[in-house]
Amino acid sequence: MTSRLLMRLQVVVPPPQRLGAVPHGTRVIAPITSGTFEGPRLRGKVLPGGADWTLLRPDGVLELDLRLTLESDDGALIYMTSFGLRHGPPEVLAALARGESVDPSRYYFRTAPRFETSAPQYAFLNRLIAISSGDRRASGPIYTIEEIL
Amino acid sequence: MNSRPLMTVRIAAAPLQRLGAVPHGIRTIVPVTGGEFEGPRLRGKVLPGGGDWLLLRSDGVLELDLRITLETDDHALIHMTFQGLRHGPPDAIAALGRGEIVDPASYYFRTVPRFEASTEKYAFLNRIVTVGVGETRSDGAVHRIDEIL
Repeated sequence: MTSRLLMRLQVVVPPPQRLGAVPHGTRVIAPITSGTFEGPRLRGKVLPGGADWTLLRPDGVLELDLRLTLESDDGALIYMTSFGLRHGPPEVLAALARGESVDPSRYYFRTAPRFETSAPQYAFLNRLIAISSGDRRASGPIYTIEEIL
Repeated sequence: MNSRPLMTVRIAAAPLQRLGAVPHGIRTIVPVTGGEFEGPRLRGKVLPGGGDWLLLRSDGVLELDLRITLETDDHALIHMTFQGLRHGPPDAIAALGRGEIVDPASYYFRTVPRFEASTEKYAFLNRIVTVGVGETRSDGAVHRIDEIL
């Protein structure tokens, strides 16, 4: 399978909303206040209002459910969603929870973004499948998003 | 991005249910009657009763939404779903519609499969993100699915 870089997306996540134990697991909602993205074909910023609706499952896997609006530097709006999974050894996840800097190869943080836009110059986003690898920095994740060719 | 083969799934389909134009596009439902799957870590058959809920969008892209149940050769049941996209040059897509064999490299058919399993042996499926490369056949489809590492 081949892929090529689509963009690197970095978001800022303030302290999240911790709902606690809900029927499917532990719910934490992480609103996203800002961010930036940059790639060979597009770049711009993340608008406020998005969030990641996370669910920690009983098997220790964190399910991620992200919705964001991006604004390109030429003023186009792009809606991005992605479903993903994050898990790793307990001591690694504990270090992340403490806000420490952890080598992303020590945990599994992978998502599958999808996009919608009406801007003709970015319509290619409506037609591709993408996969991202996440790096959970203390201030918020950095996603390296690849287009699946 | 690193990946490794997970399985190849062959899906056998019954005659399509063509609903026609619905609010979001043209809806076609593909009943799944059976099939098989094989990979380094698991193999078995596709049980009847699943389906693929297709939507042909106004931009010519076909959205796929599959749900099937797999049964391994050691009798474990696995729930598999995927969302995907298929598009390509009009002549290639028309040939597929006529049931002809078309080189899969000439069209884009990519999916993001997810799995649920309850047995310990297959629990790894609950923790991975995967990508499939699809090939339309006259009687169904074949998907080569890789695990994203």
